[in-house]
Amino acid sequence: MTTEYYPWGGEFVSVSPENNLAVVVLNLNYIPNKKIAIYGSLKTENIGIEKIVANIISNPNIRYLLICGEEIRGHKSGESLIALHKYGIDNENKIINAPGAIPYIENLKKEAINRFRDQIEILDFINITDPKKLDIIIDKYAFKTFKSYGKPYIAIKFKTEKKLKIDDKRALHSKIKINYMGKVEKRGE
Amino acid sequence: MFSFTKKQEIFDINGVKIGGQPGEIPTVLFAGLFSKGKPDLITSQKKLQKIFELSEQLGNPVIPDFFIKKEEYIEIVINFIEKSIPKNIPFSIDIIDPVIKTKVLELLKVKKLLSRTIYNSIHVGITEEEFNSLKNNKPNMIIIVAFNPKDKNPDGKLEVLENGANLTNDGLLNIAKKIGIKKILLDTAALAPGDNSGAAIASIPIFKEEYGLPTGCSIHNVVEKSKWLDNYKNSRKIVDFSSNINISAFGGDFTIIGPLENAEFVLPIIAWEDILISEYSEKYFGIKPYKTHPRRKKL
Repeated sequence: MTTEYYPWGGEFVSVSPENNLAVVVLNLNYIPNKKIAIYGSLKTENIGIEKIVANIISNPNIRYLLICGEEIRGHKSGESLIALHKYGIDNENKIINAPGAIPYIENLKKEAINRFRDQIEILDFINITDPKKLDIIIDKYAFKTFKSYGKPYIAIKFKTEKKLKIDDKRALHSKIKINYMGKVEKRGE
Repeated sequence: MFSFTKKQEIFDINGVKIGGQPGEIPTVLFAGLFSKGKPDLITSQKKLQKIFELSEQLGNPVIPDFFIKKEEYIEIVINFIEKSIPKNIPFSIDIIDPVIKTKVLELLKVKKLLSRTIYNSIHVGITEEEFNSLKNNKPNMIIIVAFNPKDKNPDGKLEVLENGANLTNDGLLNIAKKIGIKKILLDTAALAPGDNSGAAIASIPIFKEEYGLPTGCSIHNVVEKSKWLDNYKNSRKIVDFSSNINISAFGGDFTIIGPLENAEFVLPIIAWEDILISEYSEKYFGIKPYKTHPRRKKL
């Protein structure tokens, strides 16, 4: 879902954008019953985290990010998100100290990540899966007095598309060409 | 429809063939056995039996893909494979947790099942432990997922295969060779809508012409991530099943179709598409369908 507040889309529900709390649910079928800003699932420790960061910084009202549910085996997406908040990324764009398998943030500027780290406070409730307990925890934070961070930060996706000059309009890719019958050949051979 | 200039490898695992020119070898289906809690293998066995019969009728092999989520399920699943999966059928294992990966490989070696194993999969997240574990417990076949978080275009996918895109010390193809596995399947890494989902399909003929290796992907994942389809409930499953023809139509060799329950519906769709492709490929490129091809079985 993409709303005016959350331009990167993803698997989330925008509830009440003027609220301060975002909830990330890992591996759990849980719907928060309060009017929080946004909630949604997280699966991968790379693209999934990028979307969360980009969407959150585009709504300056969000000051708390609560992570709950069962950690995703192998991906360790919840812990990787926490590591991103704590340590940021290195020069290879790898999340420092992240335990996930492929924890790379490739589509966001460092500025956007720094903004995320500064804008929000992480509430680590990984491994809390009882909906009643989660309702109580969310109650505690959802109506806390807060101050908006200020202006929204609209993260622009890095464009990796290469501009190619291809004369043959039948081509699928710069590496191959296809004749009128469908025979595929390497270009230039 | 396509035919490739590059020689196309055909690999055999336990009598199941995979690869070749479009229209030659029946498209192979990988069907997942997932469970939320403890694996319900009695139900799985009944479903598998039905699917293997259908697969035999149509000619498209179905390879059960076992997802092992927790350590306590390792023995249950491997014992099931040993006792209940017919000896002539290979299987694949799909595990995320690195600790479980190692333990499963070790047990498969003990049980002498590695010759029937397709390892699903290695990617840029491969660790030294996983590499060593694969070296010591070599499966017969391996799937390489060409996922590049830096670049989701075909070029980015090629980059991880060639040089690891600075995410690994070496290209994934070289890593597989260093492990000592020659039977390599390439998965073009289908991503969600909004993340260049179409690149997984466009990459199929590119990979095939570049490497000549059997290629496919899990286009089902793209359908699963298409949340807007929730508003069209009657169509969601139809889209899921039929999405698989994209792979065969672009020259691919295998499709990872999601849960086993989908196989009953996807099998006839893929068999139909294989026949369509085979008729053209034989007429224009002289490609004869293999003896088990659905065109030979059904026409």
